Amino acid sequence: MGSLSFSRAVQAVLLAVALLLPLAAGPYWIHVGAIAWYYAMLAASWALLAGFAGQFSFAHVAFAALGGYASALGVGLLGLPVGVSMLLAIVLAIVTGALIGALVLRLSGPYLALFTLAISEIFRLILVAEEDLTRGMLGLPVPGLFSGQSDVPYYYLGLGLVVMAMLAMNWLLSTRVGLFLRAIREDEGAARASGIDTTRYKILVFVVTAVIAAIAGIYYGHFIGILTPNIAILPEMGLVIAMAVIGGIESLPGAVIGAVVVFLLSESLRAYGEWRFVLMGLALILVQRFAQNGLYPMIEQWSRARAKPRAAATVEDRHAG
Amino acid sequence: MPADPFFAVAGLAKHFGGIHAVEDLSFTLARGEILGLIGPNGSGKTTTINIVTGALKPDAGSISVEGSDMAGQAAHLFARRGVARTFQVPRLFRRMTVMENLIVPALSDASERRPSAEERARGVLAFLKLEHLADDYARALSGGQQKLLELGRALMLKPSLLLLDEPFAGVHPKLLEQIIEHIRTLNRDGHTIVLVDHNLDAVQSIVSRVLVMARGRKIADGAVAEVLQNPEVVRAYTGSRAGAQ
Amino acid sequence: MSYFLLLAVNGLVVGLIYALVASGLTLVFSVLKVVNFGHGSLYMLGGYASYYLISGLGLPPLLGVVGAMVTLFVFGVVFERLVIAPMYTDKVERKDEYAIIVTFGLTILITNLALVVFGPFAKSPPSFMTGALIAGPLILPYDRLIAAVAAVVLLVGLSLFLKRTALGQALDAVSQSRESAAVIGIDPKRMYTVAFGLGSALAGGAGALIAPVFALSPSMGDLPAVQAFIIIVLGGMGSVGGSVAGGVLLGLVQALGVGYLPDPNRALAYTQAFGALLLVITLLVRPTGLFGRPHLRLE
Ligand SMILES: Nc1ncnc2c1ncn2[C@@H]1O[C@H](COP(=O)(O)OP(=O)(O)OP(=O)(O)O)[C@@H](O)[C@H]1O
Ligand SMILES: [Mg+2]
Repeated sequence: MGSLSFSRAVQAVLLAVALLLPLAAGPYWIHVGAIAWYYAMLAASWALLAGFAGQFSFAHVAFAALGGYASALGVGLLGLPVGVSMLLAIVLAIVTGALIGALVLRLSGPYLALFTLAISEIFRLILVAEEDLTRGMLGLPVPGLFSGQSDVPYYYLGLGLVVMAMLAMNWLLSTRVGLFLRAIREDEGAARASGIDTTRYKILVFVVTAVIAAIAGIYYGHFIGILTPNIAILPEMGLVIAMAVIGGIESLPGAVIGAVVVFLLSESLRAYGEWRFVLMGLALILVQRFAQNGLYPMIEQWSRARAKPRAAATVEDRHAG
Repeated sequence: MPADPFFAVAGLAKHFGGIHAVEDLSFTLARGEILGLIGPNGSGKTTTINIVTGALKPDAGSISVEGSDMAGQAAHLFARRGVARTFQVPRLFRRMTVMENLIVPALSDASERRPSAEERARGVLAFLKLEHLADDYARALSGGQQKLLELGRALMLKPSLLLLDEPFAGVHPKLLEQIIEHIRTLNRDGHTIVLVDHNLDAVQSIVSRVLVMARGRKIADGAVAEVLQNPEVVRAYTGSRAGAQ
Repeated sequence: MSYFLLLAVNGLVVGLIYALVASGLTLVFSVLKVVNFGHGSLYMLGGYASYYLISGLGLPPLLGVVGAMVTLFVFGVVFERLVIAPMYTDKVERKDEYAIIVTFGLTILITNLALVVFGPFAKSPPSFMTGALIAGPLILPYDRLIAAVAAVVLLVGLSLFLKRTALGQALDAVSQSRESAAVIGIDPKRMYTVAFGLGSALAGGAGALIAPVFALSPSMGDLPAVQAFIIIVLGGMGSVGGSVAGGVLLGLVQALGVGYLPDPNRALAYTQAFGALLLVITLLVRPTGLFGRPHLRLE
């Protein structure tokens, strides 16, 4: 259990650092941190969808956009209270997630990727085109959640959402559903032959991850105060994929850490302009090529090897959240 | 033959484009029976297994399991009903452990809890003599061990009907004996079994009844000795061999 | 009427370029069973390669196109050997995802590299030939005409190559079944490399041909890449003829859509969305594509 405790310890330390950060950091880094939570939620939920369940979707940031826009329009257009509007956005994500999940039941691999890419593009193009509703590329103003200028409340809200999303996903993975999702990823036909209602679980995982992405988008919209269709462009999806893959596509904490590290790095290296993304593309290819499971699981394994040179790997070590 | 057999298919058909993979296939199985299903390459054996386990929907025909017609139902419902299978080329959950491979089918029954599933899995592992591999990843297993694990995974469904697609193919002779013994034991313990394989010696050593398919059709069904003398069967085999060359 | 003709001819030219991009994508898919999500960035690289060959080495513009294709062929071969080839070994699990991630990573890498190396501002390479063909109401700049003709030549050449040469038939054999190809003495791994190199060269050639028509920019490959995805799904993945039909269809629809729909912002967005919608519907109702062979990997 060496790496389980290692993973727990790392997560506890990182959580403590995240909780205490606003005491030490200036407003700029608190702002950056609050955005990082948005990506953390997206990367972790995408890792659940793509890494655990094997459903490689390019539509994940579109769900964030759906949540953000729906919540903003609920307030701005329908005049709903913010809380109601958010709930409505989540319901919309549930319905859309289930619909997409049902549509892609027969698609896998590159077909699924192309399908979700197209869906995502259609949605983004509608956001661009329907200016009367969305104000297109001008951007849709979104009311804030807290009075005052400080980003600290958003920072803690985002952190709280990340923790809650992680707890929920870890719980899901610890139940038999986690086992079934991995079985479906490994071989859908064999999973069916083993008595699993694959349809149900595939739709379920699309719904769960769509909801988390939508919550991320709702949070992001109300925090930043303006939404443009660029929230759902392909390079944004690329960023989320890179974060999850570099951190660990089959490790939820790996994906969160990947998101935070990649985002903080890209913010602190701003002086280097696009070189940052050259580096990111390179890192994505190299990690995939030489450490397919990502860097965090590699570090975990390394710590296990140091702690107990002889101990055999156990299942829980690999897949514990 | 009993009026209401344990398992019966009638008029089964499946076409792929112009290929009649299975055509007008009917047979019944009594509870506890073991049937050898043989035939040249491409004669429709695997397709038959795919249909009667729900992996493929038949174009025509009925499949009755203990009296209820299940044709057209989803594969997981067949599995839940106790119709279990193995695959011609093992299809394990490669990046899951041997133990996890085994408890997946067990837990697909909502009423089974994890501790009891693991308990049963250990029993199955002991039966297959694979206990020492419980925590290994399935992909790390040898070819023969993968076949055994697939058998084990099917057993975890507490199957009443077990369909084995070429369990002897590519298996080391020493392991072959072991697998034959396992199948005999399972049948003795009351499992109804359909055994597909090209190794006729091995099949004959286990079953007393064989069904022969050629080009999707049933060409013979009966006692092994008789059937293998049947001129049409001989022709089907020699013909296919000549055709393959 | 003349407006219609103008739009249609322009749509045809763009459609042929799309078809060329898609033919490279489809070649790679049919042989490697990999959708190259980095295909658009290879198209962009081809445009810049020809630009620098022409302005740096002083090559004549059409030779620049050839040079770009050679450059991209080499690039494709190297990338395939270094990054894609490990996929065929046991070391790589989740092969579908691996292929998507590394090719998508290639896009991130190359597009941003282009931004820093070539700069964000549009560059205009010299014309193949200045002036325009004027036939009645129709005005067709020679650059467009030449790009279209060259695209047709390359597409015909590709078809002939696949049908008539030993190498082409070996590629085709591998695309139908790598096992049977291996049995008759074809090394599938070599064919993967060749196919990826050729696919890259075709993308690069398309980018080089379009360069004098539209300007060069690091993001110029984004749209054609999405169009190429649409085309290969429409046309049936793995079919060159399907690529041509799909490309021309898409080019025409988009040119006419943008030309006739009233609100330009909406028109632009919805003609693009229309293509994506076609892809979605095709995958749902007719996964074999409208023209081509069945999709090999669909369940
Ligand atoms: N999914 C499919 N699509 C198209 N044709 C198929 C499909 N599955 C099977 N076939 C064809 O149906 C026929 C029967 O195949 P099947 O696999 O059932 O034969 P088999 O008896 O199991 O052969 P073998 O002994 O070689 O395993 C063959 O001609 C095969 O090519
Ligand atoms: Mg078979």
